[in-house]
Amino acid sequence: MMTLREWMVRLVGTLRPSRRDVELEQELRLHVELVAEDARRRGSPSTDAVRVAAARLGGTTQALEALRDQLELPWLADGLRDIRHGVRVLARTPAFTLVAIVSLAIGIGANCAAFSFADALLLRPAAVPQPGRVVTVGATSATGISPMLVTSYPDYVDVRDRSTSFDGLVAFAEAAVAFEPAAGTPPKPAIGLVVSGNFFSVLGISPEVGRAFRRDEDQVPGRDAVIVLGHELWEQQFAADPQVLGRTVRLNGNEFAVIGVAPRGFTGFDVVTRYQFYVPMMMWPMITGDASRQPLEDRALRRLTIKGRLKPGATIEGARSELSVIARDLEREYPATGRNHGLAVRTELQNRVAQSPPAARLITLLGLLAAAVLCAACANVAGLLTSRAPMRAREMALRMAIGANRSRVLRLLVTESVLLALAGGLLGLGVGYGGILLFRQFRIPTDLPITAVFELDQRTLVVSLVVALVSAVLFGLVPAVRATRADLTAVMKATEAAGYGRRRTWGRWLLVGGQVAVSVVLLTVAAFVYRGFQQRFEAGPGFRTKNVLLMWFQPALVQYDRVETQRFFERLVESARLVPDLRSATLASYMPMDGGVGRVAIIPEGFQLPPGVETVAVPTSAVDEAYFEMLQVPVIRGRGFSQTDTADTPLVAVVNEQLAARYWPGQDALGKRFRVDTGNGPWAEIVGVARNTKYVSLIEAPMEFAYFSFRQRQQARMALFAESSGDPATLIAPLRQMVHDIDARQPIFNIRTFDEAYRMRAVVIFTIISRFVAAMGVMGLALALVGLYALVAYTVGRRTREIGIRLAIGARRSAVLRMILQQGMTVALVGLVLGLAASLGASTALAAFVPGGLQPGGGVDFVAFLLVGATVVAVTLLAALVPARRAARINPTDALRWE
Amino acid sequence: MANRKAQKADVLQGTLDLMVLQTLATLGPMHGYTLAARVEQVSDGALQLNMGTLYPALMRLEQRGFVKGEWGVTDNNRRARYYSISAAGRRQLAAERAEWDRMATIIHRLLNQEG
Repeated sequence: MMTLREWMVRLVGTLRPSRRDVELEQELRLHVELVAEDARRRGSPSTDAVRVAAARLGGTTQALEALRDQLELPWLADGLRDIRHGVRVLARTPAFTLVAIVSLAIGIGANCAAFSFADALLLRPAAVPQPGRVVTVGATSATGISPMLVTSYPDYVDVRDRSTSFDGLVAFAEAAVAFEPAAGTPPKPAIGLVVSGNFFSVLGISPEVGRAFRRDEDQVPGRDAVIVLGHELWEQQFAADPQVLGRTVRLNGNEFAVIGVAPRGFTGFDVVTRYQFYVPMMMWPMITGDASRQPLEDRALRRLTIKGRLKPGATIEGARSELSVIARDLEREYPATGRNHGLAVRTELQNRVAQSPPAARLITLLGLLAAAVLCAACANVAGLLTSRAPMRAREMALRMAIGANRSRVLRLLVTESVLLALAGGLLGLGVGYGGILLFRQFRIPTDLPITAVFELDQRTLVVSLVVALVSAVLFGLVPAVRATRADLTAVMKATEAAGYGRRRTWGRWLLVGGQVAVSVVLLTVAAFVYRGFQQRFEAGPGFRTKNVLLMWFQPALVQYDRVETQRFFERLVESARLVPDLRSATLASYMPMDGGVGRVAIIPEGFQLPPGVETVAVPTSAVDEAYFEMLQVPVIRGRGFSQTDTADTPLVAVVNEQLAARYWPGQDALGKRFRVDTGNGPWAEIVGVARNTKYVSLIEAPMEFAYFSFRQRQQARMALFAESSGDPATLIAPLRQMVHDIDARQPIFNIRTFDEAYRMRAVVIFTIISRFVAAMGVMGLALALVGLYALVAYTVGRRTREIGIRLAIGARRSAVLRMILQQGMTVALVGLVLGLAASLGASTALAAFVPGGLQPGGGVDFVAFLLVGATVVAVTLLAALVPARRAARINPTDALRWE
Repeated sequence: MANRKAQKADVLQGTLDLMVLQTLATLGPMHGYTLAARVEQVSDGALQLNMGTLYPALMRLEQRGFVKGEWGVTDNNRRARYYSISAAGRRQLAAERAEWDRMATIIHRLLNQEG
């Protein structure tokens, strides 16, 4: 066994050789001489003595070799020698090396960017110890209102106390509040979590400053007003002052004592929302701003997310079966609320996918495209390496002939491939960073800390490295194995012109054909996506966004009760209409395209819902009378809302065409009714049908939507839409003044022009995606171009002599041109046809990625095919033409002498 | 031929270190030739140390810190590398020697077992 000390000495010896060969040799020579002298003294002839001595001692050279091996770590020394050799070999052919590195950089960069995108939106684990053991538990909803797993507090307590699969279950709910860092400061919007008392201890998070919650701080409703600040809030509002402990802050007017600060990096479990504070669950009723519901007692109020840490040895399947039993028990014990609610267990990844299936589909799409680019890049480099193979094969044969074993030679070639891959990876990080910068243009328009974090971080680096090494294996191993398997004598005798195998070129033509096909698929997908999005942009969302200013209000944040809130909103919109230069004003609880649309459970009269389904969840907005006119959403049948629709008159609704057609097909929806909220909720009568618009995303499938009057269904949070005659930003100051006149304390959130908010919400993400996809398409084409060019040029090189003979015996130059061109274009066209066929399949698959399909008609975009086909033919023709012309210009006399 | 040599080296592997350390401990600093000659002499010519065995062993012992090598000058004025045992080497010698004695006793007892 080698001791650590010996290992270290030898490591240093490898990296910085200290004892020179000369010294070692001197030592050995002395030994031999002394033995020889000894022999002479005993009388052997002096000429023989040295020889005899050397023979007896086993030879200086062998000893020297053994000493050198002992001096260093042989594997490391060999590795370093291989690297030095590899660098020299690559530097000898700079054009090859450059093309290979750039190809790989494109492939690896695309994957680096795609991974960073996926990581930000889906993959990055929560910042807790052993995140893989933390799962989400919750009720599957019978109404389908929320795709997320949510639970009521009483249910949480039951599940927590009955289950045995977990090392603790924590519960939390999001809370948006008005936050005052100190008395007398104007309240600012903030977003945080109400959490169960065991939140920090079960998740294994220790506060950076101060302490987490004690058990007794989560026992009595409303008693313990303590708060743990998020790290970012602490830095921004308190300048990271450790003296913050014991200070008092206000949430919605209630005083809370600061007891701790969460560690840097922990921001809760959401992928985009970075929560700013944590308060005990028992303080929830104090800060909801909605006195009508008792979140700690109401079993029907499902707002909590539950996460559990699996016990060591417990499996997710075990937890699932245990919880399904508990769910059945709860269903029996509380039939009123437990009906049709199962309990599901999901991993973090499953949970995120369920939360946003479109994001998951998009990520899969980008990942597949990036993988295709990488394959094209690897095909390129593999092709280039193969064209060097005959030359390298001779070198390798020589090495093997003088005694190197095959694995040693293989290692030499693999080292070269890895060097290429690493250089490509390094440059690829630059390419990937470009992609990340592109992604970063995506911002969610809000004052709250809600943002996707696209990073070139350690995880991205590791993934890029792995991708680089995988690509090295992909492109390097096959040529390496072939180069070392060759029959030595055959290789040594062969000349390059004669070649020594037809199959080798066959493989290359196949690779290039495949590359063309892949680039065609990439390009058509890019064209589909780009043209599809473009058509959506041009078609528009179905409502106006120009010259409108938006500002948000939530009066409960400054302790308005329901009546005061209602009065405030009524006064707000009336006073706004008096502001000079303001053409019209309206209120709505939902800004189209904002995401997170409020859904209401309805039961359409006379419609048979599937068994087990009691209600359907319909996205809604509560609006005022001017809404349809101002946003230019036509009410095509019946009427919009009027001021006479009040809390005292029967509930009315305006639905969109989609909803009307879905539940009352072939009938007039006017006058039809549906129940709201539950099976014995109030009836709402449909008084109008509005034209369909886009509601959540420009690429959504037609969606059912219902509008209510805000006078009849009161809202805690609404936006004021103000239309100006000119630049809507000029309305900000007078509107602020007007709000100040109503109530100086009233906070205003998220002031933006509708245009800007719409653009950021609905347009930017698609611009980014189409650019990214287009970039991959172009890169794929560029790779195919290089691949085809290199292959045709290589063939011309190999056939120089043959072409010379053809010309010498009278072939016309145009015939030679045609011959070479034909060979190149055959492959390109076969690749094109294959690629177009594959694209047909891809376009079907794409339709699954984009709900409602990319084509408004649902058909295939043949214009895209035509465009791509023409581009690929033109580009490949160019790639083949340049070397073909060179072939046609060959001088026969030179060519015949060429070896 | 090569095989037999390798086998011989294997046999020596464990004991060579012990011999080198013991020789250096009793006779003080010396260079490789003296060391080899001494071992040969003690064994009545039965152990002829190959250079490819002796010098790597010396280097290994030096890398482990058991011996220390320094360039010096021989009696008739030739440059030679002198090896001396270090404190760690003496400890190692004591430990290996005890182990050798223990093993030798066991083997001896085993081979001379009667009925």
